[in-house]
Amino acid sequence: MLEVRNLVKHFGGVRAVDGLDFKIKQGEVFGLIGPNGSGKSTTVNLVCGIFPPTDGEIMLGNINLGAIAPHQRVDAGVARTFQNIRLFGDLTVWQNLWVAWRDQPGQEQGWVSNWFGRSTSRRQEIQKLLEFSGLGDKADHLASNLAFGEQRRLELARAMAAKPKIILLDEPAAGMNSAEVKDLCHRVLAMKEMGMTVLLVEHVMELVMNVTDRITVLNFGRPIAQGTPLEIQNNKLVQEAYFGSSENAQGGGN
Amino acid sequence: MDLYLASVLTNMTLIAFLALSAYLVLVVGEVSFGQQAFFCIGAYLTASVTALAGAHIVWGLLAGMLAGAVCALLLGFLTIRLSGLYFAISTLCFAELLRFSLLHIRFTQLIDGREIGPDGPEGFSNIRWIFEHNYAVTDFLLLAATCLLILLVLLFGLQRSHLMLAARMVGNDPVLAQSQGFNPHRYRLVFIALSGAVAGFGGGLFALFNTHIEPAMFGVMLGVHGLAYSIIGGLGTPLGPLLGVMLDIGLLESIRQLAAYRMILFGGLVALLLVFRPEGIASPRLVARLRRRWGRRRV
Repeated sequence: MLEVRNLVKHFGGVRAVDGLDFKIKQGEVFGLIGPNGSGKSTTVNLVCGIFPPTDGEIMLGNINLGAIAPHQRVDAGVARTFQNIRLFGDLTVWQNLWVAWRDQPGQEQGWVSNWFGRSTSRRQEIQKLLEFSGLGDKADHLASNLAFGEQRRLELARAMAAKPKIILLDEPAAGMNSAEVKDLCHRVLAMKEMGMTVLLVEHVMELVMNVTDRITVLNFGRPIAQGTPLEIQNNKLVQEAYFGSSENAQGGGN
Repeated sequence: MDLYLASVLTNMTLIAFLALSAYLVLVVGEVSFGQQAFFCIGAYLTASVTALAGAHIVWGLLAGMLAGAVCALLLGFLTIRLSGLYFAISTLCFAELLRFSLLHIRFTQLIDGREIGPDGPEGFSNIRWIFEHNYAVTDFLLLAATCLLILLVLLFGLQRSHLMLAARMVGNDPVLAQSQGFNPHRYRLVFIALSGAVAGFGGGLFALFNTHIEPAMFGVMLGVHGLAYSIIGGLGTPLGPLLGVMLDIGLLESIRQLAAYRMILFGGLVALLLVFRPEGIASPRLVARLRRRWGRRRV
C-alpha cells in the first residue's frame, strides 16, 4: 500500500529524516514512534507534501506521491489529521465534513452536485459518519465551540470523509486524558475492522501498543527497530533511545 | 425621488461593486489595494464601446466586465506566488501603473462635432449614452440597483456552495485546504478573476453615470475605501461590504453636516472597529451564530 524508500529530509544542517524505509500493508495499522524530534511528524508532512523530500521515494500503490502536488494526494488516497487541531472553526461540524467529503470511487456525482448538491444519500452517509464519531447530536454546532476531545474526533471523521486509501494520524492522542485515549483506541480498532489502512504517529504508548500491527521506531531520523508491539517493547535499542542506557543512568546517579 | 438622494444612492450602488470586488479577494485570504484598477479598466472600456463604437450599454458593460476579469486573471497569474504584504503591494503597483499609463493614452475621434475618447489626463468626456437614450437619474439608479441585486443573489447562492467554503478555507488556512485536496492557486485565480469582473462591471456603470472619467478618479484612495468597506462590514456575508458602503457614503458623505468631518470620522471608525471587531461588523462567526439561532439547517 504505502511504501517509503530511503526517505531523506534535511532542514539546513538538521537531518530530520535520514534514510527511512518502511512498507505499510493494506488494512494494517502501522505505528511510527520515537522520542521528540526523531522525525515522525516530518515523515507525515513529507507523505502529504507539506514540504518536498530531499531524497527518496514515496509510493502509494503504484502512484509516486512525490511526483504530484500536495492537493492531488487527497484524490490519490491520502488523508491526515494534524498534531495541532486544524478545523474550520467558522463552519459547523456538518459543513466541515461536507467540504471534505469525497464519494466512494465509482460512485462520484457530477460537479453540480459536488458544489451545491446536498443529495439525500450523502446526507445520510455524513450522518452515519457523525454517529460513528460520537458527534451525532453536534452536527449544527460550530467546530470552534466543540470541546477538545470532540474536535479531535471531528478531525478524524473529516479524514475518513475523504475516503482515503490510507489515513495518517499525527499524534491523535496528544493532550487527551486516559478515558479519551481508551475511546480513541476503540475508534482506531473500529477503523481497522472497516478495512482502513492507518499510519499512526504517536507518543502515547497505551494507544500505540494496543492498536498497531507493526511499529517502526525512529531516532534522529533513522529507523532503529521494526517489529510487532511486543518485540518493540522488549527491544534494547528502543529502551535506550527512550530512557537512555542503564550505564548512563547509573553514571548519572553517581 | 429627490435628485440628491437618487444620486447618493446611485453612488452607493456603484461603490458597492468595488467593495464587493475587494470582498471576493479577501475571501481567499488576500488584501488587494488595486481593485480600483479593474474598476478603471471597466470604466474606460465601457466608455469606449458605448461612446466610441456606438454600441448598446449591454455590450459596453459586458466588455468592461470581461476586460476586468481578464486583467485580474493576468495579475493573478503574475502574483501567484505572492501573498500578504507582497501581494498587496503588487496590486497597488499595478493600479498605479495603469493610472499613470492612462495619462499618456490619447485616442480621440471627432463624433458629431465632439472630441470623444481617452485623452490623457483630460480623461474621457462625453460618455452620453444615458442622455441620448433619455435615462433619468432614477432610471439609472434602478438599472444599477437591479444589477447589484442580481450580483448579490448570485453571491448568496455561492455563499454555502462547496466552491465558497473551499475558497474560505484557502483564505483561512491554505495548508488545511491543501490537505483537503483543494488547490489554493486555483481558488485564488478564480476569485481574483471574479473580483475583476465585478469591479469592471461597476466601473462601466460608473463611467455611464458620470459621463466623464479621468485617471485621477481611480487613485489609491478609491481602492482603499473599497477595501475598507469590506473590512468594516465583515466577511461573513456579501451584505457586509454593503454595510460598510452605507456607513461611509450613506451616513458620512451624504449628510452635509457630517461631510466635512468624513475622513476623521471614517478613520476613527476604522480604528475602533479594528480594535473591537477585527473581523468586521458582520464577521463570519457572527453570521454563523445567527444562522444557527434562526434555525437554518446545515448546508
